[in-house]
Amino acid sequence: MMTTISNEKKVTNKDLMQIMWRSLPMEFGWNYERQMHLAFAYMMAPLMKKLYHGDQKEYTESLERQMEFFNCTPQLVPFIGGVVASMEEKNAEDKDFDVSSISAIKTALMGPLSGIGDSLFLGTLRVLAVGIAASLSLKGNILGPMIFLLTYNIPAYLVRYFGVKVGYNIGTSYLERIQKSGLMDKFKDAAGILGVMVIGAMTQNMVVVKVVAKFGTGKTATSLQSILDSILPGLLSLLVLYIFYVLNKKKVNVLWQLLGATIIGVLLTAWGILGV
Amino acid sequence: MSNLGTALLIGLVGFVGPLDFAIGSNMLNRPIILGPLVGLVLGNLSQGIIIGASLELVFMGAISVGAYLPPDVIVGGVLGTAFAISLGKGVGAAIAIAMPIAMLSLAIGNLTSVIFPAIAHIGDRYAKEGKPGGITASMWGIGLIECTRRGILCFLGYYAGSAGMKALLSVIPQNIINGLQVAANMLPAIGFAILLEMIMNKTVLPYFFLGFLLSAYLKVPVLGVALFGLIIVFVRFHSDQNRAVVSTNGSSQEDVNDDDDF
Repeated sequence: MMTTISNEKKVTNKDLMQIMWRSLPMEFGWNYERQMHLAFAYMMAPLMKKLYHGDQKEYTESLERQMEFFNCTPQLVPFIGGVVASMEEKNAEDKDFDVSSISAIKTALMGPLSGIGDSLFLGTLRVLAVGIAASLSLKGNILGPMIFLLTYNIPAYLVRYFGVKVGYNIGTSYLERIQKSGLMDKFKDAAGILGVMVIGAMTQNMVVVKVVAKFGTGKTATSLQSILDSILPGLLSLLVLYIFYVLNKKKVNVLWQLLGATIIGVLLTAWGILGV
Repeated sequence: MSNLGTALLIGLVGFVGPLDFAIGSNMLNRPIILGPLVGLVLGNLSQGIIIGASLELVFMGAISVGAYLPPDVIVGGVLGTAFAISLGKGVGAAIAIAMPIAMLSLAIGNLTSVIFPAIAHIGDRYAKEGKPGGITASMWGIGLIECTRRGILCFLGYYAGSAGMKALLSVIPQNIINGLQVAANMLPAIGFAILLEMIMNKTVLPYFFLGFLLSAYLKVPVLGVALFGLIIVFVRFHSDQNRAVVSTNGSSQEDVNDDDDF
C-alpha cells in the first residue's frame, strides 16, 4: 500500500530517543502564561519537520500546536511526547484526523501526570534521597551530595527513557484500534471531554484571584471573598478565564491581554481590591 | 582572594545553579549541592557540605509544584551558605539569612518574569514561519535571563552584604510587588483560554463545568477529576458501541436500552 512514502514519515526509535534527550530543558524558558510550552515545542520540533516534510502549512501548524500551554513533572514529559508523536504520525498519514484531539489528549494527560509525577518525584523520591544523603552530608562527607544525586536521578532517567517508548506504543496501538473500529469521532469527543474536565479543574486550582476588600468597618466587616467562596469557590477564576476566552475569540493580540492583565492586576491591588 | 573576586565566583555559582533546568532538572540547584560549591569557592568544602545539607532540610518544602512558585532556594541557599561560612557563624546564621533572601529573590523574580511571555511570543512568530530555531532561542533567552538574574543577585548580595540586600528590597514598593504577583496568578487563564478555544464544542462544554465544580465544591484533585472523566468517557463509548451493534443487526430502534441484552 503506502509503502515508500509512509516509511519515510514513520517515527523511529531514533526519533523517540531524540524526544527523550530534548525533554531535558523542560523547566527552562518557563513563563507564567504558557509555562513549559517553549521547551515542549523544542522537544517535538525535529519530529514535526520529519513528519510534515514537504508541506510547509502542515509543518507550521504542527509547530504552533506544540506551543500551546504545557506544564507537567519534567520526568514524565517524554511519555507525553511519545503519545503526541504517535498522534502526529497518524495525523501526517491521515488527512481526516482531527488535530484538536492532539491538544485534548495532551491536556488530559498533563494534569493527572503532574499530580502523580510531583508526588512521586518531588514528594517521595527527593525526600528519600535527602534522607539517605543528609546524615553523611551533615558530617561533611562529600559522598552525601553524590548519593543524593544518584538516588534521585537514576530512577528519573529510567522513567524518561522508558516513558517515551511506552507512550508511543500505547498511542499507536490505541489509535490503530480506534481507526479500525470507525470510532474516530467518538474518540475525538472522548479526548475533548477529558481535556476540558482537566482544564476546568486546573482553572479552579491554578488561576488564583483573591479579593481582599471588605464590607463594613471594624468588627462587623465581612470579607467579600468569603461571600464569593460560599457561592462558588473560584467564581472569579471562572470569570477571568471567560474574559480571556472572549478576548481570544475576538482575536485580541495575546500581548495586549498580558499587558492589560498586568496593569489591571497592579491597579486593583493598589486600590486594595485584590491581594495575594 | 579579594572580596570582589570572591563575590564574582559566588555570583557564578548562582548563575550555574539554575542552568540545571536546561540539562534535565537533576536537582543540581538544591542547597545540598550548591552548598559544597560555595564551600569550594570560600575554601571550606566540608562546612559547605554541612551547611548545604542543613539548608536542604529547612527548605525541604520549597519546591515548585504545579504553578506554585516557592521562595528562591537557589539564591537563598547560595548566599545563606556564603555568609554563614565567611562570617564564621555556622548553620543557624545560614538559615536566618537564607529565608528572607529567598523571599526577596522570589519578589525580584516576579518583577523580571513580567517580560517572559513577551519573549515567548517572539517564539510564536518563528513557529508561524516554520523556524524552530526561534523557539529554541526564546527558550534560552528566558532561561538565561533567569540564570543571569540569580547570578547578579548572588554577586551583589555577597558584595553588598545582607544589609544591602534589604535596602534593595525597600526600593520597590510592596504594592507593586503584590500587584505583579496578583497579575501573575491570573495569567495561566490565558493559556487555558487558548486551549479551550481549540477543544471546545457543544458536546464537551458541560464537562468543563463538571471538572471545575468537582474541584471547587468537592476539592477533588486534578488526577481525581481525570479519573472521573475516564469513567464518563468509558460509559459513553460503551453505550454508543452497543447501540451501533444493535443497529447493524437490523433493529433500527434508536432508543434500544442497553439492558435488553439480558
